[in-house]
Amino acid sequence: MEQSLALLGLNHKSAPLDVRERLALLSASELAKRIKAGGTKEAAVLSTCNRFEVYFMPAGESTDTVENRITAWLEQISGVPLSRYAYRFGGEDAVKHLFEVSSGLDSLVVGESEILGQVKDAYEAAHSAGMTGKYFNVLFQRALYVGKKVRSETGVAIGQTSVASVSVQLAHTIFGGLQGATALIVGAGAMAETTARHLISQKILRLTVVNRTWEKARALAAQFLAQAVPWEELPSALERADIVIASTSAERPILTSDMIRQAARARQGRSLFILDIALPRNVEETAHGIDHVYVYRLEDLESVVAENMKKRGVELDHARGIVAEKVREFGLWEKSLGTGREASFKHSNLQESSEIS
Amino acid sequence: MNYEVVFLKGALAFYTLATAAAFVYLYNKDDKWSSWMFRLVGAGLALHLASFGFGMHYFWKIPDNRYYFPINSFFGALSFLSLATVAVFFLIESRHQLGILGAFVLPWAVIGTGSAIIFANPAVEGLVPALQNYWINIHPVILMTSYAAFGNAFGVGVALLIQERQIKSRKPGELCYRLPSIEELDNLNYRIIVWAFPVLTVGIIMGGIWAYSAWGRFWGWDPKETWALITALVYAGYLHMRFVKGLRGKKAVYVSMLGFACVLFTFLGVNFLSPLHGYLSGGG
Repeated sequence: MEQSLALLGLNHKSAPLDVRERLALLSASELAKRIKAGGTKEAAVLSTCNRFEVYFMPAGESTDTVENRITAWLEQISGVPLSRYAYRFGGEDAVKHLFEVSSGLDSLVVGESEILGQVKDAYEAAHSAGMTGKYFNVLFQRALYVGKKVRSETGVAIGQTSVASVSVQLAHTIFGGLQGATALIVGAGAMAETTARHLISQKILRLTVVNRTWEKARALAAQFLAQAVPWEELPSALERADIVIASTSAERPILTSDMIRQAARARQGRSLFILDIALPRNVEETAHGIDHVYVYRLEDLESVVAENMKKRGVELDHARGIVAEKVREFGLWEKSLGTGREASFKHSNLQESSEIS
Repeated sequence: MNYEVVFLKGALAFYTLATAAAFVYLYNKDDKWSSWMFRLVGAGLALHLASFGFGMHYFWKIPDNRYYFPINSFFGALSFLSLATVAVFFLIESRHQLGILGAFVLPWAVIGTGSAIIFANPAVEGLVPALQNYWINIHPVILMTSYAAFGNAFGVGVALLIQERQIKSRKPGELCYRLPSIEELDNLNYRIIVWAFPVLTVGIIMGGIWAYSAWGRFWGWDPKETWALITALVYAGYLHMRFVKGLRGKKAVYVSMLGFACVLFTFLGVNFLSPLHGYLSGGG
């Protein structure tokens, strides 16, 4: 019997979060051992918080038999009614799915690059567990190659897709390099911290933290190796800051237009970039009208994110075209294995030579 | 056949293509457009130099003209000014690799060479005796070099204002991510002007010295002199704002743009007013 690749999996579209979480908790080495013992010749498990996928090549038995065995076992150890959420693909469809996954086309955020690393990890884990053979080696290396190609040749990965990364990108359009920039966090909060972390990764010169509660300022500053400043010194901290992240739970704007105007005057035309990610707002709306002051509210940042996502969506067809082409190439290679004259992927352009067809 | 005009037309064609490539690059993320622009500008520049060489050759056929620069006519002046503009752009571009600036600077080269071809007369005439002086190789050449640099600074200023508006709009488009940052544009504008201003000043002083040796007076409030002085004062105002008061950004850029408006007026408008500096009025 001719064996072909099979895929059993679920993702963020087919299964709710709690189901995915329970599967993500399963131990990787245990999975590897059991799936290998379950009647597979080669196998790999791709487990992330958004998807759980088992790729395998049955060893002798029919695909259905092996698939049912693995499903039953997974249901048993995870307690998840897997068959209710799972999709099953075989042969070329499974190859296509893997290529789409590595290209980020099946991701929640289209084109995101984390998945490429996760596919690589999944492959390396399978490889070191001795679960891969020639077929899987080629399959996964092709998947990684296609993932890179799609991202570099299409627009599916363009634009930033999180509020924090959009903020950093906007800061670049104002200041260029951020090595000389000073950032100021007013308040606290998860999003402020994420943004601060993004800024720190850009090697900003200085990070200052202000909070109504001195201890909170101290604690946050310690976490980021930043400088804490007493609440009373907010106006002067504002003068020194290039990028301000406002994130307090105040009911009324704490950064008033007057305060910002004064800071802007002292800054002599150097731009002041204020991110107001608090709800209700921390920054008086009229402040955006001041020269050299740019106030971006949470909704502005979110609409930039939405715009970028839309642009990525437009590129999907182009990306799918590349994937389809690469799936076809892979199919030719797979066919050529049986002929004894293996086709090559040299120059990533598989020739349809007479030996193959 | 007048090879000066033929080669200038060739240069115009390349500048036009380079400008087109620069505009495509504004909206297309592909770097190949930027490198095409750079190559096209280089080719245009080579043709332009050849044109200028032929111009010099024709000019020197008249013995009295020998070895003066052929920039006494409107044609020669426009051609030289565009040549200097492109050369300065080429220099900035090769140092900063801000391909995107082409869209803001190269149109000036197209306008300059284009209007030389369309409006100006390339016919070579003998220099009037007053201009048969080595100062013609110094005074106008220095001034036009500074004008060319100011033209580049103006382009940078336009880019800055566009970038500023993009960011102020809270809906930054693709262009916003393509343009250099406000801070970089502001610094580049400043650096060009800080370099061009002394050139302008030296050019004006050289004119004064020439005037002294020719007419026995350093300064005569001829409209061209007056406007050159106004231009210098406006740029001095800009540098004062930047350097002494530390002002940056939009307002400073407006002042530098006003300076460029003065440059254009000094170069073009005053020709109709000035008895001593007319290119168009046939004076000299």
